[in-house]
Amino acid sequence: MSLLPFAHALAARQDLPIPAWLFAWGAAIVLIVSFFALSVSWREPRFEKDRWRPLGARLSRALLGAPVQVLCGAIGVFLLGLAVYAGLRGTEAPDRNFALTFLFVTCWLGFPLLSVVFGDVFRPFNPWRAVGRVAGGALTTLAGRPPAHLRYPEWLGRWPAAIGLVAVVWLEIVYGVSGGVSVGLAPHAAGVAALVYTAYTLTMMALFGTERWCRNGEVFSVYFGMFSQLGCFAVEDGRLGRRRPLAAAGRWASVPGSAAVVIASIATTSFDGASEGAFLGALEWTFERFSDAGFGLTLALRLTDTIFIGLCLAGVALIYLIGAWGMSTVKGAPPLHKLWSGFAHTLIPIAFAYLFAHYFSLFVFQEQAQFTYLLSDPLGTGTTDLFGTASSGIDFQLLSANAIWYVQVGSLVIGHLVALTLAHDRATAYWGDYRQAARSQYWMLAVMVAFTCFGLYLLSVANA
Amino acid sequence: MTHPTKALAVLLALVASFALAACGSSDEETTAETAPATTTTEKAARGGYGKTEASVPTVTIRDGEPAGGVKELEYEAGDRIRFRVRSNVADEVHVHGYDVTEEVPAGGSATVSFPAEIEGIFEVELHGSGSQIAELRVNP
Repeated sequence: MSLLPFAHALAARQDLPIPAWLFAWGAAIVLIVSFFALSVSWREPRFEKDRWRPLGARLSRALLGAPVQVLCGAIGVFLLGLAVYAGLRGTEAPDRNFALTFLFVTCWLGFPLLSVVFGDVFRPFNPWRAVGRVAGGALTTLAGRPPAHLRYPEWLGRWPAAIGLVAVVWLEIVYGVSGGVSVGLAPHAAGVAALVYTAYTLTMMALFGTERWCRNGEVFSVYFGMFSQLGCFAVEDGRLGRRRPLAAAGRWASVPGSAAVVIASIATTSFDGASEGAFLGALEWTFERFSDAGFGLTLALRLTDTIFIGLCLAGVALIYLIGAWGMSTVKGAPPLHKLWSGFAHTLIPIAFAYLFAHYFSLFVFQEQAQFTYLLSDPLGTGTTDLFGTASSGIDFQLLSANAIWYVQVGSLVIGHLVALTLAHDRATAYWGDYRQAARSQYWMLAVMVAFTCFGLYLLSVANA
Repeated sequence: MTHPTKALAVLLALVASFALAACGSSDEETTAETAPATTTTEKAARGGYGKTEASVPTVTIRDGEPAGGVKELEYEAGDRIRFRVRSNVADEVHVHGYDVTEEVPAGGSATVSFPAEIEGIFEVELHGSGSQIAELRVNP
């Protein structure tokens, strides 16, 4: 039916749209939950301090000691190398090549999932950080002093990561176009992109320092790090410890550009979801205008998608801005820019819920491929069988359509509830007067309801 | 207490509009889907098939491309999926997800038939030309 099949080339199967009755129930539950949240609201902030407590010293030493760290870094470098090699030398069939599933499903979706629960799991495995640390250590030994770095401009904050995040998603879902049809990124292009990104990241690490660049500019560190703020383990002063779940998020957004990172996350997932249904008509219309104007099919499609990603970014930012502006009209409010950065972390659960609802089934199915035939035959040659699992397939009966629907709606509702919790908590910290704090939260409630209902709406019209 | 009531009204309006939008689009969809069924019988009649075979949807391929665009095939879980592919050139039909393949001889046809066990939306494509010829939907 549709002119532009936007299907990911990876996925052999796509989700059915959530039925109208479930959409209605989901939206109703969101409202009930929201008003319940307003009525039980607490008066003193509970999530402003993360109450970090160290775990056993021996466990901490074992996990953070050099052997484990070196091993983790080596694993990261090896897997990145394998992905690049498979991308460059392996089959161009996206579903049979290790590179695409590993980079865009196992890592891109797997690390947010692990991070939300446990904390920053990516950090020890970050291949670029591992290389940067080794290079930095070697230089220090040779020169007898640590290498000098440029001063990282404070105002730049996390902006490089926010822009990089949009670029990664653009590459994944917009760039992979052939003859006016969106076919998903080809393995070879993914391999080249990984090499280019490696060169860029190592250069930036050399200029500004490895840890500095990981905190601000390295897309994956910042992106996974954002989700890890919700998790319950963290390293502080060289020791592993437990902290209150969700509570660390409150500090995260004080760096400039952090709101842009979380907005980019919500907007890009929205675009991917909306291109399967909600935006389909508008995308086709714009695409036809571009091809009528004499643009080639590939360029027309890329331009169309790029414009709509831009619109998603603007739309998500605008909704949040309205919420922040609304709060600033409440008596005793801090200035708008403080509200803008001060509530940005409350959108992290929404960003995760979007990601989880949209990609949950893809992750479950594609990981079966990852740990069977993609491990045994990473290049997809059809002749290699390293672990004897090359002929395995994906069991698509693992998840019924109903199970997927309930998980999708459930994750959006839970994300909504957590977001409201964090926003209310922050308001009690910003407004000394409890009644004004509660009043400010009608605005954030509207923002969250808008995001959650939009998420539900996207699911109900995707592939409809 | 004016504020919560006002907010509630706004929220309800918001949700109602989303719900309306969702219902609206699903209505369009059902009317759009009933249309292609007639073309199947028409093609079957022209091809001179018997009456029982006329109910089997047919995808006609010309030089590796589906005539009349990607065909929508919709089933309920537990049904038996059955469709026919006619082609002027030899190719192989592949149903993604189910991983069912069927050879189509040049100038002939092949019937693809298997139980609808997996729910979801699946691509049906030709291995030779690489084109998608049908979209298979299995509803719970």
